[in-house]
Amino acid sequence: MPGSFRSVSVVWVGLVCLLLRSRLARVGAAPICTNGQAGCHVLSLADLFDRVIQHSARMHGISSDLHSEFEQYFLPSKNHIGRVNCHTSTILTPNGKENAQRLAREELTEVILKLLVAWRDPLWHFHQSMDHHHDFNNFSSNKALEMSDMVHELRKGVDKVAEKMQTLGIISNSVSSLASPEALLPPDSAEWRLMKDYDLLYCFRRDSNKVQNYLKILKCRIVPEHGC
Amino acid sequence: MRRGAGVALLLSLLSVAVECNSVSPPGKPVLLSCRSPEKETFTCWWEPGADGGLPTTHRLYYQREDSEGTYECPDYRSAGRNSCFFDRSRTSIWVNYILTVEASNALGNATSDPLEVDVMYIVQPSAPENVTVLLEEKEESPHLLVRWEPPPDTDTQSGWVTLIYQLRVKRENDDQWEEYTSGKQTHFRMFSLHPGEVYMVQVRCKLDHGYWSEWSNTSYRKVPNYNQKERPFWILVSIFSAFTLIAVMCILIMKRKYVKQCLLPPVPGPKIRGFDAQLLKNGRSEDAVSALIISQGFPPMVAWKDQMEEYLVVFDSDAGPLPDSHKTQKRRKSSIILGGFHLHPEAHCKELTFSQNDREKAGERKEGQAIILKSNKPSSGELLSKVEPPQLLSQKQPCPSINFASEHYTEGTAESPSNHDGKPSVDCSAGNTVGPADSGYVENMREVDERQEDYSRVSGVNGDNVLFLQKETVPLHTSCKDKRNHADCTNQRPRKPHVTVATKVGVRTELIYSGYVETMPSLPTM
Repeated sequence: MPGSFRSVSVVWVGLVCLLLRSRLARVGAAPICTNGQAGCHVLSLADLFDRVIQHSARMHGISSDLHSEFEQYFLPSKNHIGRVNCHTSTILTPNGKENAQRLAREELTEVILKLLVAWRDPLWHFHQSMDHHHDFNNFSSNKALEMSDMVHELRKGVDKVAEKMQTLGIISNSVSSLASPEALLPPDSAEWRLMKDYDLLYCFRRDSNKVQNYLKILKCRIVPEHGC
Repeated sequence: MRRGAGVALLLSLLSVAVECNSVSPPGKPVLLSCRSPEKETFTCWWEPGADGGLPTTHRLYYQREDSEGTYECPDYRSAGRNSCFFDRSRTSIWVNYILTVEASNALGNATSDPLEVDVMYIVQPSAPENVTVLLEEKEESPHLLVRWEPPPDTDTQSGWVTLIYQLRVKRENDDQWEEYTSGKQTHFRMFSLHPGEVYMVQVRCKLDHGYWSEWSNTSYRKVPNYNQKERPFWILVSIFSAFTLIAVMCILIMKRKYVKQCLLPPVPGPKIRGFDAQLLKNGRSEDAVSALIISQGFPPMVAWKDQMEEYLVVFDSDAGPLPDSHKTQKRRKSSIILGGFHLHPEAHCKELTFSQNDREKAGERKEGQAIILKSNKPSSGELLSKVEPPQLLSQKQPCPSINFASEHYTEGTAESPSNHDGKPSVDCSAGNTVGPADSGYVENMREVDERQEDYSRVSGVNGDNVLFLQKETVPLHTSCKDKRNHADCTNQRPRKPHVTVATKVGVRTELIYSGYVETMPSLPTM
């Protein structure tokens, strides 16, 4: 008698749990809760910013490592000094603190997204070429792959941030990146195919640093209370 | 002709002049490095070459990656000699600058090698400021709280720069610094301090992925000595405990005998009542033995021979029945002790003595005492006979002395088997006395049931007073001896626990009979 009662109670509890879980899932699909709402487990904007900033910092770190490895093994010729043409040079990026602060939030966000979009394909091909050349050890090859993945992930993250900002009304809906990423690509983006590996790394190292700095400025402009 | 000579003379003079002064075009300057303290401005320094003896000017020219043209340094003064300062308007991040320095004097120029910089990678902040070291004493765990401020020119509010800090600590007497990383915090807590020491602290910082700054100025802090407070207390405690210890030791030493007795009590030796070991030690064994015998109530011992004959002495009490009904078979607890009966043929019969104690103890009986018999078998009857020593003595003259080394005994109602057919009597001469066992043991007398088969073992009667008893065979340790009158076996049974006299008294410790009346092995020669 007690055994059957116990099994029945277990089954009943299990059913109740399932019901609750389905309820909770439905609650999760409810509209995004804003900051300060109790019982809300959605990430706040500040948390999202912190995440993407961390991500971008890591991405920049990997690109620096790869670049210094390249410099060790493949010393660039003197001709490269001073005139490296990155394929992203067409994207207008602020070159200083004041310039970056002068830009509107939407523009700054858009610049970030443009940069990230512009580097997705080149990094992918870079990784492929590294695999084929076998000049590098697996460690470098893994870094290249990680870098390429990170660009992709970071872009998605910044998309989320932009979406959240738009939802919160911080920025207007003029950010076009969400709609069509290809629209961000500069028209002559095939230039990167002509770049050599070293130049590519050189350019990407710089651009990842730009992305990191822009994100930090954006964060401290929008949510300054959390560690600026 | 004359003009040519004049030119030649002038030239020679000039050359002589030149040789005397050794002026030359300037040496090649060297661009040392460029640094940006906050990622908004930067400064470059160079090292001039030989100046060639003439006043030499240095100019810095730069080109930018993102624009055409060559520009000259905007500010030669702000950063000191041989430096060039680029202010905010001229500084761009993520742009390559190609710098060259040109030294020129009257005789010529010299250009340094180009230096390419990207401001992003030449960041080195200045040292943190206002390093304060405080001693915090919270909950008995003192720690140092080090606080500082970021370098003054950095902009930490806009998120443009990220500073991480490092501090190093050293005790004044140590050689090595200990380094700690503080991350982005501008404070740091240090635990596990050595009291009474002076601590020295320095802080430095790094901006983004740039270079570490210089160490800040040293800050000092002395940690107070906490042991001081507790020391008098511990001194008092130690003095007090020392005194206590000394006192205890003195007491122990003074009373060492007592302590010894307490801790190591002497093992009690065998204690024989009435036996005085001192007398024995003094060499007077006879006195010791006699004292023992007297105290034990033994009859005085006469020299005895090796052969010890034991008799069963069965008495017939002439005094008649006991005041208490003998017919009643009351259980009585009586213990009669029989010592060793020793029959000594040479001895006088008159020396048959009983201990006076026995008689006194058998208070209610005037008739005298019964000699023991036995034993523990309840079923077996016991022969109880009473003895009247004086009468007996008078009766049996030629009887050998029977030394009863008998203990006291108590009797309750006694039953005299003498009323029955058998008239047990003590007959010294009959030799049918069986003297059981030892001196000095106590046996419990059981109830005498005269109607029981006590006399079933009687094998014969000799006269009025003597009874021949047949002894039953006993399994253990039987040694049968054929004697003159009858065969019997003497048993050696396992003893019952009782006190035995030490052998030096000369008593043979022998046999215990349990439940049996045993006949004597042999008759004494009389």
